[in-house]
Amino acid sequence: MAANPAQRRYVGRMIPISLAYIATVMLASWIIPDDAAATPLTVAVALVPALATSGFIWAMARYIAELTDEYVRMLEIRKMLVATGLTLALASGWGILELFTDVPRVPLFYVFPVWCLGLAVGSLVNKVTIGDGGPCP
Amino acid sequence: MKNRLKVLRAERDWSQQDLADRLEVSRQSVNAIETGKYDPSLPLAFRIADLFGLPIEAIFLKD
Repeated sequence: MAANPAQRRYVGRMIPISLAYIATVMLASWIIPDDAAATPLTVAVALVPALATSGFIWAMARYIAELTDEYVRMLEIRKMLVATGLTLALASGWGILELFTDVPRVPLFYVFPVWCLGLAVGSLVNKVTIGDGGPCP
Repeated sequence: MKNRLKVLRAERDWSQQDLADRLEVSRQSVNAIETGKYDPSLPLAFRIADLFGLPIEAIFLKD
């Protein structure tokens, strides 16, 4: 599928945000020693990469808002719904396991990457149910 | 919902891409509507009707 203007703008936003994310994660790793106490300084530095992850979410929201093709928008929203459902199911399922058993604790950091993987599952669901996986910006 | 898009398009010798360009949507959208996999919104249905110069009910039919 040829890239539409919303997809091009999405990619144009994601590239600098990704670079900022990598740079701020590296910076935080360099500044904050391993197992540092949560002081105002370490928390502030550690939260800088979180701004970039919020930027990813903002870019995705803008992408959906700027999509003028209603069919493509429906495919994208279906992907996000599948990803959200999967992430919530996995997170709550594992959370309950953590409550009752001694399974390894999974850092909350992994919620967003799992959701992104869920988008691929959503694309597969679209392909199977509608016959069209949707764009892959 | 059934529709007569394919026939109307063929009468004008338009490809799916031609129709998509005229409607300012993707070719995938035209294909999905044409094959009945996706029912367009009312605004898009009106745009399609306007393009063919027909009322909506002459293009989209109840199952």
